[in-house]
Amino acid sequence: MRLTDFLRPEFCLMDLKAGNKESAIKELASVLLPSGKVNDKEDFIKHIMERERLGSTGIGNHVAIPHAPTQSVDGLVVAFGRSIGGLDFQSLDGDEVNLIFLLGTNPQDLGTYLKFLATLSRLLNNRQFREEFMTADSAAALIEVLKKHEKS
Amino acid sequence: MIKNVLVSVSGSPNSLTATKYAICLAKVMQTKLFVVYVIDSKVLSELLKSRIFVEAEARAYERDLEQQGKVFLERIKKMADSRGVDCETFLLRGSVSEEVINKINEVGADILVMGEMKELTSRSAVFYDEGERIFRKSPCSVVMVKNQAMVENLYKELV
Repeated sequence: MRLTDFLRPEFCLMDLKAGNKESAIKELASVLLPSGKVNDKEDFIKHIMERERLGSTGIGNHVAIPHAPTQSVDGLVVAFGRSIGGLDFQSLDGDEVNLIFLLGTNPQDLGTYLKFLATLSRLLNNRQFREEFMTADSAAALIEVLKKHEKS
Repeated sequence: MIKNVLVSVSGSPNSLTATKYAICLAKVMQTKLFVVYVIDSKVLSELLKSRIFVEAEARAYERDLEQQGKVFLERIKKMADSRGVDCETFLLRGSVSEEVINKINEVGADILVMGEMKELTSRSAVFYDEGERIFRKSPCSVVMVKNQAMVENLYKELV
Protein backbone atom coordinates (compact mmCIF):
# COMPACT_ATOMS: atom_id res chain seq x y z
CA MET A 1 0.00 0.00 0.00
CA ARG A 2 1.63 3.21 -1.20
CA LEU A 3 -0.19 6.32 0.00
CA THR A 4 1.37 8.42 -2.73
CA ASP A 5 -0.43 6.29 -5.32
CA PHE A 6 -3.61 8.03 -4.14
CA LEU A 7 -2.60 11.35 -2.56
CA ARG A 8 -1.14 13.55 -5.26
CA PRO A 9 0.09 17.18 -5.16
CA GLU A 10 -2.97 18.40 -7.10
CA PHE A 11 -5.23 17.04 -4.35
CA CYS A 12 -3.45 18.99 -1.60
CA LEU A 13 -4.50 22.41 -0.31
CA MET A 14 -1.70 23.99 1.66
CA ASP A 15 -3.83 26.81 3.07
CA LEU A 16 -7.48 25.95 3.55
CA LYS A 17 -9.77 28.97 3.37
CA ALA A 18 -12.66 27.28 5.20
CA GLY A 19 -13.62 28.51 8.64
CA ASN A 20 -15.47 25.44 9.86
CA LYS A 21 -15.67 21.68 9.48
CA GLU A 22 -18.36 21.50 6.80
CA SER A 23 -16.78 24.21 4.66
CA ALA A 24 -13.42 22.47 4.88
CA ILE A 25 -14.96 19.19 3.75
CA LYS A 26 -16.66 20.96 0.82
CA GLU A 27 -13.41 22.73 -0.11
CA LEU A 28 -11.51 19.45 -0.12
CA ALA A 29 -14.21 17.59 -2.04
CA SER A 30 -13.96 20.27 -4.76
CA VAL A 31 -10.22 19.64 -5.08
CA LEU A 32 -10.98 16.07 -6.12
CA LEU A 33 -13.32 16.97 -8.98
CA PRO A 34 -10.60 17.18 -11.68
CA SER A 35 -9.66 13.59 -10.86
CA GLY A 36 -12.89 12.55 -12.60
CA LYS A 37 -13.44 10.01 -9.82
CA VAL A 38 -16.12 11.96 -7.97
CA ASN A 39 -19.41 11.40 -9.76
CA ASP A 40 -21.65 13.31 -7.39
CA LYS A 41 -19.96 15.86 -5.15
CA GLU A 42 -23.05 16.70 -3.11
CA ASP A 43 -23.79 13.06 -2.38
CA PHE A 44 -20.13 12.49 -1.46
CA ILE A 45 -20.25 15.40 1.00
CA LYS A 46 -23.57 14.14 2.39
CA HIS A 47 -22.02 10.74 3.21
CA ILE A 48 -18.98 12.38 4.82
CA MET A 49 -21.17 14.59 7.00
CA GLU A 50 -23.39 11.65 7.97
CA ARG A 51 -20.28 9.87 9.20
CA GLU A 52 -19.26 12.97 11.17
CA ARG A 53 -22.60 12.84 12.97
CA LEU A 54 -21.67 9.39 14.35
CA GLY A 55 -18.68 11.01 16.01
CA SER A 56 -15.99 13.45 15.01
CA THR A 57 -13.13 12.15 12.91
CA GLY A 58 -10.89 14.70 14.62
CA ILE A 59 -8.71 12.01 16.21
CA GLY A 60 -6.41 14.25 18.22
CA ASN A 61 -2.90 15.65 17.64
CA HIS A 62 -4.49 18.33 15.41
CA VAL A 63 -5.49 15.73 12.82
CA ALA A 64 -8.87 14.90 11.27
CA ILE A 65 -9.68 12.11 8.81
CA PRO A 66 -13.24 12.60 7.53
CA HIS A 67 -14.13 9.51 5.51
CA ALA A 68 -16.99 7.46 4.11
CA PRO A 69 -17.80 4.76 1.60
CA THR A 70 -20.12 5.97 -1.14
CA GLN A 71 -21.23 5.02 -4.63
CA SER A 72 -20.50 8.64 -5.57
CA VAL A 73 -16.80 7.93 -6.09
CA ASP A 74 -14.84 5.50 -8.22
CA GLY A 75 -12.18 3.58 -6.31
CA LEU A 76 -10.43 5.39 -3.49
CA VAL A 77 -10.10 9.19 -3.50
CA VAL A 78 -7.93 11.19 -1.10
CA ALA A 79 -7.46 14.92 -0.58
CA PHE A 80 -5.42 16.78 2.00
CA GLY A 81 -5.90 20.23 3.43
CA ARG A 82 -3.86 22.24 5.91
CA SER A 83 -5.47 24.89 8.05
CA ILE A 84 -2.74 27.20 9.30
CA GLY A 85 -4.94 28.83 11.91
CA GLY A 86 -6.71 25.66 12.93
CA LEU A 87 -10.35 24.60 12.69
CA ASP A 88 -12.89 23.50 15.24
CA PHE A 89 -13.58 19.89 14.25
CA GLN A 90 -15.15 18.86 17.59
CA SER A 91 -12.02 16.76 18.04
CA LEU A 92 -11.80 14.10 20.70
CA ASP A 93 -9.03 15.98 22.51
CA GLY A 94 -10.79 19.35 22.14
CA ASP A 95 -7.90 20.88 20.20
CA GLU A 96 -8.23 22.62 16.87
CA VAL A 97 -7.34 20.69 13.72
CA ASN A 98 -4.63 21.69 11.27
CA LEU A 99 -4.19 18.58 9.13
CA ILE A 100 -7.24 17.18 7.36
CA PHE A 101 -7.29 14.08 5.18
CA LEU A 102 -10.54 13.55 3.27
CA LEU A 103 -11.16 10.01 2.06
CA GLY A 104 -13.93 8.46 0.03
CA THR A 105 -14.19 4.98 -1.37
CA ASN A 106 -16.52 3.04 -3.55
CA PRO A 107 -17.89 0.19 -1.37
CA GLN A 108 -16.33 -2.27 -3.81
CA ASP A 109 -12.87 -1.08 -2.77
CA LEU A 110 -13.18 -1.43 0.99
CA GLY A 111 -10.00 -3.48 1.31
CA THR A 112 -7.80 -0.78 -0.23
CA TYR A 113 -9.53 1.88 1.83
CA LEU A 114 -8.95 0.04 5.11
CA LYS A 115 -5.29 -0.54 4.28
CA PHE A 116 -4.86 3.13 3.38
CA LEU A 117 -6.43 4.25 6.65
CA ALA A 118 -4.34 1.82 8.70
CA THR A 119 -1.11 2.93 7.02
CA LEU A 120 -1.99 6.62 7.41
CA SER A 121 -2.88 6.07 11.04
CA ARG A 122 0.54 4.54 11.74
CA LEU A 123 2.32 7.44 10.06
CA LEU A 124 0.27 10.00 11.97
CA ASN A 125 1.37 8.49 15.27
CA ASN A 126 4.82 9.85 14.43
CA ARG A 127 5.21 13.38 15.79
CA GLN A 128 7.98 14.22 13.34
CA PHE A 129 5.78 13.23 10.41
CA ARG A 130 3.01 15.52 11.64
CA GLU A 131 5.43 18.40 12.15
CA GLU A 132 6.94 17.99 8.68
CA PHE A 133 3.45 17.93 7.18
CA MET A 134 2.62 21.11 9.04
CA THR A 135 5.74 22.95 7.86
CA ALA A 136 6.08 21.72 4.25
CA ASP A 137 6.21 24.78 1.99
CA SER A 138 4.49 23.29 -1.05
CA ALA A 139 2.30 20.40 -2.10
CA ALA A 140 5.28 18.82 -3.85
CA ALA A 141 7.33 19.09 -0.63
CA LEU A 142 4.48 17.53 1.28
CA ILE A 143 4.39 14.53 -1.03
CA GLU A 144 8.16 14.17 -0.57
CA VAL A 145 7.60 14.07 3.20
CA LEU A 146 5.03 11.36 2.70
CA LYS A 147 7.35 9.37 0.44
CA LYS A 148 10.22 9.67 2.92
CA HIS A 149 8.16 8.40 5.84
CA GLU A 150 6.52 5.68 3.79
CA LYS A 151 9.95 4.24 3.07
CA SER A 152 11.20 4.37 6.65
CA MET B 1 1.92 -37.06 -3.26
CA ILE B 2 0.15 -33.73 -3.47
CA LYS B 3 -3.39 -34.04 -2.13
CA ASN B 4 -4.57 -30.54 -1.31
CA VAL B 5 -4.16 -27.08 -2.79
CA LEU B 6 -5.20 -24.01 -0.84
CA VAL B 7 -5.66 -20.55 -2.30
CA SER B 8 -5.89 -17.40 -0.20
CA VAL B 9 -8.19 -14.78 -1.73
CA SER B 10 -9.09 -11.18 -0.96
CA GLY B 11 -11.49 -10.34 -3.76
CA SER B 12 -8.83 -8.41 -5.67
CA PRO B 13 -8.14 -8.97 -9.39
CA ASN B 14 -4.81 -10.58 -8.45
CA SER B 15 -6.52 -13.05 -6.16
CA LEU B 16 -8.99 -13.94 -8.91
CA THR B 17 -6.05 -14.73 -11.19
CA ALA B 18 -4.50 -16.81 -8.39
CA THR B 19 -7.79 -18.67 -8.01
CA LYS B 20 -7.92 -19.52 -11.71
CA TYR B 21 -4.37 -20.83 -11.53
CA ALA B 22 -5.22 -22.83 -8.39
CA ILE B 23 -8.21 -24.39 -10.20
CA CYS B 24 -5.88 -25.37 -13.06
CA LEU B 25 -3.38 -26.90 -10.62
CA ALA B 26 -6.08 -28.80 -8.74
CA LYS B 27 -7.58 -30.12 -11.97
CA VAL B 28 -4.26 -31.28 -13.45
CA MET B 29 -3.05 -32.82 -10.18
CA GLN B 30 -6.51 -34.16 -9.33
CA THR B 31 -6.44 -32.66 -5.87
CA LYS B 32 -9.00 -30.97 -3.69
CA LEU B 33 -9.04 -27.17 -3.67
CA PHE B 34 -9.54 -25.16 -0.48
CA VAL B 35 -10.32 -21.47 -0.78
CA VAL B 36 -9.87 -19.08 2.14
CA TYR B 37 -11.23 -15.54 2.42
CA VAL B 38 -10.45 -13.73 5.68
CA ILE B 39 -12.36 -10.70 6.91
CA ASP B 40 -9.55 -8.54 8.25
CA SER B 41 -10.98 -7.80 11.69
CA LYS B 42 -7.45 -7.03 12.90
CA VAL B 43 -7.29 -3.88 10.78
CA LEU B 44 -10.80 -2.90 11.90
CA SER B 45 -9.71 -3.23 15.54
CA GLU B 46 -6.62 -1.16 14.80
CA LEU B 47 -8.75 1.63 13.30
CA LEU B 48 -11.14 1.49 16.26
CA LYS B 49 -8.23 1.73 18.65
CA SER B 50 -6.82 4.73 16.81
CA ARG B 51 -10.32 6.29 17.01
CA ILE B 52 -10.61 6.72 13.26
CA PHE B 53 -13.65 4.39 13.40
CA VAL B 54 -16.51 4.28 15.84
CA GLU B 55 -18.03 0.95 16.92
CA ALA B 56 -21.14 1.10 14.74
CA GLU B 57 -19.05 2.00 11.73
CA ALA B 58 -16.58 -0.86 12.24
CA ARG B 59 -19.46 -3.33 12.59
CA ALA B 60 -20.99 -2.02 9.36
CA TYR B 61 -17.68 -2.47 7.52
CA GLU B 62 -17.35 -5.96 8.91
CA ARG B 63 -20.83 -6.85 7.61
CA ASP B 64 -19.99 -5.38 4.19
CA LEU B 65 -16.74 -7.33 4.02
CA GLU B 66 -18.56 -10.50 5.02
CA GLN B 67 -21.12 -9.98 2.28
CA GLN B 68 -18.40 -9.31 -0.30
CA GLY B 69 -16.53 -12.41 0.88
CA LYS B 70 -19.63 -14.59 0.52
CA VAL B 71 -20.29 -13.35 -3.00
CA PHE B 72 -16.66 -13.88 -4.01
CA LEU B 73 -16.51 -17.39 -2.57
CA GLU B 74 -19.78 -18.37 -4.25
CA ARG B 75 -18.35 -17.17 -7.55
CA ILE B 76 -15.19 -19.24 -7.01
CA LYS B 77 -17.21 -22.33 -6.09
CA LYS B 78 -19.09 -22.03 -9.39
CA MET B 79 -15.83 -21.56 -11.29
CA ALA B 80 -14.34 -24.70 -9.70
CA ASP B 81 -17.54 -26.70 -10.32
CA SER B 82 -17.50 -25.66 -13.97
CA ARG B 83 -14.04 -27.21 -14.30
CA GLY B 84 -14.89 -30.34 -12.34
CA VAL B 85 -12.71 -29.45 -9.35
CA ASP B 86 -13.71 -30.51 -5.83
CA CYS B 87 -13.72 -27.24 -3.92
CA GLU B 88 -14.39 -26.22 -0.31
CA THR B 89 -14.57 -22.58 0.74
CA PHE B 90 -13.98 -20.91 4.10
CA LEU B 91 -15.07 -17.46 5.19
CA LEU B 92 -13.02 -16.59 8.28
CA ARG B 93 -12.33 -13.49 10.36
CA GLY B 94 -9.30 -12.31 12.29
CA SER B 95 -5.69 -11.69 11.37
CA VAL B 96 -5.43 -12.65 7.69
CA SER B 97 -2.00 -14.26 7.95
CA GLU B 98 -2.81 -16.19 11.13
CA GLU B 99 -6.09 -17.51 9.78
CA VAL B 100 -4.58 -18.62 6.47
CA ILE B 101 -1.65 -20.37 8.19
CA ASN B 102 -4.03 -22.08 10.63
CA LYS B 103 -6.19 -23.31 7.77
CA ILE B 104 -3.15 -24.63 5.86
CA ASN B 105 -2.26 -26.69 8.92
CA GLU B 106 -5.83 -27.78 9.59
CA VAL B 107 -6.55 -29.13 6.09
CA GLY B 108 -2.98 -30.31 5.48
CA ALA B 109 -2.50 -28.23 2.36
CA ASP B 110 0.53 -29.22 0.30
CA ILE B 111 0.62 -26.10 -1.86
CA LEU B 112 -0.48 -22.55 -1.08
CA VAL B 113 -1.41 -20.39 -4.07
CA MET B 114 -1.28 -16.61 -3.72
CA GLY B 115 -1.83 -13.63 -5.96
CA GLU B 116 1.13 -11.54 -7.02
CA MET B 117 2.25 -9.21 -4.23
CA LYS B 118 3.02 -5.58 -4.80
CA GLU B 119 6.52 -4.26 -4.19
CA LEU B 120 7.14 -3.43 -0.55
CA THR B 121 7.02 0.30 0.02
CA SER B 122 8.95 0.42 3.28
CA ARG B 123 10.99 -1.62 5.70
CA SER B 124 8.11 -1.60 8.17
CA ALA B 125 5.78 -3.06 5.53
CA VAL B 126 7.53 -6.39 6.13
CA PHE B 127 5.79 -6.41 9.51
CA TYR B 128 2.42 -5.09 8.41
CA ASP B 129 1.81 -6.62 4.99
CA GLU B 130 -0.36 -9.69 5.47
CA GLY B 131 0.62 -11.23 2.13
CA GLU B 132 4.28 -10.92 3.05
CA ARG B 133 3.63 -12.63 6.38
CA ILE B 134 1.75 -15.50 4.78
CA PHE B 135 4.51 -15.96 2.22
CA ARG B 136 7.21 -16.12 4.89
CA LYS B 137 5.33 -18.16 7.48
CA SER B 138 3.62 -20.70 5.26
CA PRO B 139 4.39 -24.24 6.43
CA CYS B 140 3.93 -25.56 2.88
CA SER B 141 5.34 -24.62 -0.52
CA VAL B 142 4.00 -21.38 -1.99
CA VAL B 143 3.14 -20.60 -5.59
CA MET B 144 2.89 -16.89 -6.35
CA VAL B 145 0.88 -16.43 -9.51
CA LYS B 146 2.11 -14.01 -12.17
CA ASN B 147 1.32 -13.35 -15.81
CA GLN B 148 -2.44 -12.84 -15.83
CA ALA B 149 -2.73 -13.33 -19.59
CA MET B 150 -1.07 -16.73 -19.43
CA VAL B 151 -3.32 -17.80 -16.54
CA GLU B 152 -6.44 -16.66 -18.40
CA ASN B 153 -5.45 -18.84 -21.36
CA LEU B 154 -4.70 -21.84 -19.15
CA TYR B 155 -8.06 -21.46 -17.41
CA LYS B 156 -9.97 -21.11 -20.69
CA GLU B 157 -8.32 -24.22 -22.13
CA LEU B 158 -9.13 -26.24 -19.00
CA VAL B 159 -12.24 -28.28 -19.67
